[in-house]
Amino acid sequence: MPSRSGVASPDPVRPLYSRRATAILLSVAVAVAALAVAGVAAAMGWARSPYSTMQYADVRQPVPFSHQIHVTGLQVDCRYCHSTVDREFTAGIPPTRTCVGCHNDAYLQSALFEPVRRSLETGAPIQWRRVNNLPDFVFFNHASHVTRGVQCATCHGDVGQMAQLYQARPLTMKWCLDCHRDPSPYLRPGEGAMPRSDSGRPWPVRAGTPDSIAGAVARLTACSTCHR
Amino acid sequence: MSGTDGVRASAGGGADGRWAAALARRGGTDFWRGLDELLDTPEFRARLADEFPDQATIPAEAWSRRSFLKLLGASVALAGVGACINVPDERLLPYVDQPPEATPGVARYYATSMTVGGLATGLLAESHVGRPTKLEGNPLHPASLGAAGVYEQASLLQLYDPDRLRGLRRGGRRATWEQFATDFIAPAARRTDGGAGLALVLGPTSSPLEIALLARLRDRFPGMHVHFHDPLVPAGALEGGRRAFGVPLLPRYDLREADVLVLLESDLLGSAPFHLRHARHAAGRRRMLEPTDTMSRIHAAESAPSVTGTLADERLRTRAGGVPRLLAALLAEVAGTSGGNPGALVDAREREWIAAAARDLRAARGRGLVAVGERQPWHAHVLVHAINARLGNVGRTVAYAPSVIEEAGERSHDPAALAELLRDGGVDTLLVMGVNPAYSAPGELELGRLIGAIPNTAHMGMYADETARACGWALPEAHYLEGWGDARAYDGTVSLIQPLIRPLWEGRTVAQLLTMLLGADPDGRGLVREHWRTAGLADESAWERAVQRGVVDSTGMSVSVPALAGDAEGAAVAAALDASRPAVGMEIVFRPDASVRCGEFSNNAWLQELPDPLTKLTWGNAAQVSPATAARLGVEAGDMLRLSYAGREVTMPAIVLPGHADESVSVHLGYGRQGGERVARGVGVDVYDLWPADTPHSGDGLSVEHVAGERVHLAVTQDHWSMEKRPAALGATLAEYRANPDFARPQRGRQLSLYEPYAYDQGDQWAMVVDLSTCIGCSACVVACQAENNVPVVGADQVRMSREMHWLRVDRYFGGDVEDPTVAVQPMLCQHCENAPCEYVCPVNATVHSPDGLNEMIYNRCVGTRFCSNNCPYKVRRFNWFDYNAELGETERLAKNPDVTVRERGVMEKCTFCVQRIRRAQQAAQVEGRKLAPGEVVTACQQSCPTQAITFGSLTNPTDDLLQRMAARRRYAALHELGTRPRVNYLARISNPAPDVTGASGTADAAAVAGMDEASDASARPGERPSGEGEPA
Repeated sequence: MPSRSGVASPDPVRPLYSRRATAILLSVAVAVAALAVAGVAAAMGWARSPYSTMQYADVRQPVPFSHQIHVTGLQVDCRYCHSTVDREFTAGIPPTRTCVGCHNDAYLQSALFEPVRRSLETGAPIQWRRVNNLPDFVFFNHASHVTRGVQCATCHGDVGQMAQLYQARPLTMKWCLDCHRDPSPYLRPGEGAMPRSDSGRPWPVRAGTPDSIAGAVARLTACSTCHR
Repeated sequence: MSGTDGVRASAGGGADGRWAAALARRGGTDFWRGLDELLDTPEFRARLADEFPDQATIPAEAWSRRSFLKLLGASVALAGVGACINVPDERLLPYVDQPPEATPGVARYYATSMTVGGLATGLLAESHVGRPTKLEGNPLHPASLGAAGVYEQASLLQLYDPDRLRGLRRGGRRATWEQFATDFIAPAARRTDGGAGLALVLGPTSSPLEIALLARLRDRFPGMHVHFHDPLVPAGALEGGRRAFGVPLLPRYDLREADVLVLLESDLLGSAPFHLRHARHAAGRRRMLEPTDTMSRIHAAESAPSVTGTLADERLRTRAGGVPRLLAALLAEVAGTSGGNPGALVDAREREWIAAAARDLRAARGRGLVAVGERQPWHAHVLVHAINARLGNVGRTVAYAPSVIEEAGERSHDPAALAELLRDGGVDTLLVMGVNPAYSAPGELELGRLIGAIPNTAHMGMYADETARACGWALPEAHYLEGWGDARAYDGTVSLIQPLIRPLWEGRTVAQLLTMLLGADPDGRGLVREHWRTAGLADESAWERAVQRGVVDSTGMSVSVPALAGDAEGAAVAAALDASRPAVGMEIVFRPDASVRCGEFSNNAWLQELPDPLTKLTWGNAAQVSPATAARLGVEAGDMLRLSYAGREVTMPAIVLPGHADESVSVHLGYGRQGGERVARGVGVDVYDLWPADTPHSGDGLSVEHVAGERVHLAVTQDHWSMEKRPAALGATLAEYRANPDFARPQRGRQLSLYEPYAYDQGDQWAMVVDLSTCIGCSACVVACQAENNVPVVGADQVRMSREMHWLRVDRYFGGDVEDPTVAVQPMLCQHCENAPCEYVCPVNATVHSPDGLNEMIYNRCVGTRFCSNNCPYKVRRFNWFDYNAELGETERLAKNPDVTVRERGVMEKCTFCVQRIRRAQQAAQVEGRKLAPGEVVTACQQSCPTQAITFGSLTNPTDDLLQRMAARRRYAALHELGTRPRVNYLARISNPAPDVTGASGTADAAAVAGMDEASDASARPGERPSGEGEPA
């Protein structure tokens, strides 16, 4: 205010700012900027971390089904349970009947099989918890991947060693694109590289030529390949 | 009509004068979308300038700014919590016993049928693990030929309608079928009076099973009354058949070889029975791929423009009541007689139309066809039969067969007879099944009150509608996707109704209810199977085959070509002339609505929001008047009119429709519902109130009064998404086309571009061609798109704010004279521009191009800036202003297509070329290790189109059809001058008006009429790449 301008004038002896003012200001500014950057970096880092992607998360199932026992121990073909994995979009979650094909009455008496018994009695499905969960705006086709020679383990990890199934890969869009941009290292043409198939049903893997794979990259990275 | 001058004088301000002046300023071939656009008023310009009008406005019932701020704090706090829950804990629910045919993620198709007015249309229902998600036409069915109309496609939504009757109600309280059996059925079945006090009311039926059950019931209860309720009973057609041939035969048309169609007040391609088939065949005569091809000519005389009328080459506006008079004159002209001198009764314009029609008909003997609306009086039908007989058309384009509807033409179909029965018939027990007579009958009959006065009443229906409210029992009816049944198509072909899902709400079918009355076991499938075991499908494999195909082979009724009764023609001419007194006052015409028909589909939100093909009105009805009549009354669209007719009156808004007959008002049934249906309730005005029982279609003596001071804001879409007068729809007459086949050439080909061209050379290149010559604007594609792509419904208020979400709209353009315009329709969808203007302006790369030529919209990237829509010259992008899908009920969610993302608020969306179908087909081909076959990918709009106006495919692997159309000389790109290089191309509309009557050449003219002799197959040029440019324009 004009009338108080004289009062507000600075002391001619003491400087308005201390000698360290600039240094303090700068360090505060740097700290704020660093915090902001660190905050963003932390958020982005968190989003990519297993905490956010649920990679390795402990997902307890109603029945403690062990892929280790079935795949490594009993050498069951993946497609005995996931029967449409080489033909359709979905791999297929086995109906309760598939379990009791092998697990006869003796097995079923066990307490662990209580949900299976209940499902058979009531006709209500077993409520498995989803482990590998893609967002609803992602349309993933199992058959297209399997028939091109993408191994089950490439995305699901070595389920044969998992006593309790967990999400082995981050399943982030970057992770998908790493392969879609350069699929060659992940394609193992020939049936031999696929999981064992004692069922007498060969894996319908068709090898692409290096040229056809290179030509496919533009298509593979188009948004509508996965998002519709 | 020649009233324009008088009108101008009386019209205080003379709106039509303004239109004439506005027209004079424009070029002759210009199209305009609405009267406001033609006048180019400042208000209209202001409305257009804002692409998203009223964007600051939120609906009245929505939050205020204040409550929004109050909740903002809480939301921020909750958002923090919400962010921690990263991945939803989803459950996987496998089958206990997986049926072999159900694979999660894989759609299966089952044949079924739907009846409208008792007549079946074959459908294929798409099912995802037992959940029907889409209905398409059954190519094996004669009434469908692969196409499906708006009713059939939208009926899916009604299966999941949350307003459906859930379980039984007795006087408003819950009840069970067992209670109904003991308390209602058992006393009725124990009757000793031979059924004299028992009355059944059901819809018109062609079902062999229901007819057999009714016969058994009649054996049991000889005195029982059976009434078939149908507000649109084709009484005139049946009576005409009876008078002409002694038995009530109906005409059966074959349009495949019809070069000249003369249609009077007949919506043969839009709403008449068999309309999908007729539209397919009529379009087949108008493809015009080469200028040398031949083309049919359609003459139409109608009071209000219809879907059929939009395709007409010579269209006469005339009052509906004048049709018999015109036919008498046409008969005289065709026969070369002047018996009764009907010529004196037609004015100059009508005489001209009749002369042109007669000349064409005579030139195309045996290849012409005259048809008249089903509800026209009997003498009109006899005259039509006489004209067709004289022209040698009978046996070629038209033949006759009895109606497939039980007791068609008898008194049991007359609503007045029902009123009489209920009043004086001594009925004590009434069972109404599948119809709503308390609403859908002439108001003066007061059927609702009469039903309420009967002691024992039960109503079976999908909804707690007006009749259910008047009845003691309300029983849930099974949707046709929930129960077994059978029905006949218009030609008699038996069509099986196969359910895809167990009844959601304990619904039963009419056949099951009839069986309950017989005291038998109402097992739905068993009933149909047992009936057909004795009726021609004894063999299990024959039955399986019929169920799989949806039709029972060779069950069509044979046609006959009887001679006209000797005195019929004379009697009809006399009756027509007798009825042709000079018109008294104004005329009122009662019509079924293109969206909700007679009220059966009132609660269907897809249909409520489907713009009328001509007026583009959604969510309601309005009294249609011509511009001249509106000017005389001093009203504009939205002004209220009081219509008084036969002692009753109704107040409803006016809508001005160019091409409507003067001094005639068209009103549409199916609105103003008062039942328990929440979508339908209070939408539009009930004109049944006004409808006298003795006026089947139209009547004179209407008085109309402008109710000053009252206005409604009609939810009309016609000016939304305007093209700002840019030439999007092109057209020419056949003569112009032949003189200058390359008239569309300047609208295609390469344009200079600042952008580096992208080589679209990898794999498939998707493109679409839409033939405007055969598009009739029926809007089947709009509903198909809505069902396939999970397009939400926004409601009337949002439509008024230009926020409708249809990815595909059908633009309707008028051209020429305001009173008597030509009409062009153009389906407008994302053009998938190779140089897409939307893509350059998106700040977050949410809309990008795929290497196979799709303009992709990535919902999860979109932040809702709406820049893309702003920059889109075609105005085909839609923005989710609200989370329309969040409000859906539990069952409505089941209707969603699982292959398409359901978008949320703040996201832009648009046509994707049905990318989910493309990718699915590509991936299936890849998995099977084969190449994608041409024509393997069919978009939803293309699939539903009755006229096959839409062709889709890959330019690098095209079908012959796509190849031919890409090579067509009338192909063009909409707004080509902008250099967007759209992948959707159009074929300019070709019309075939009759040469000037004053021209001397009757014989030369005959040659100009379509298909005189050779239909040139030379136009097919297989193997040839699309013309010079190699790429779409």
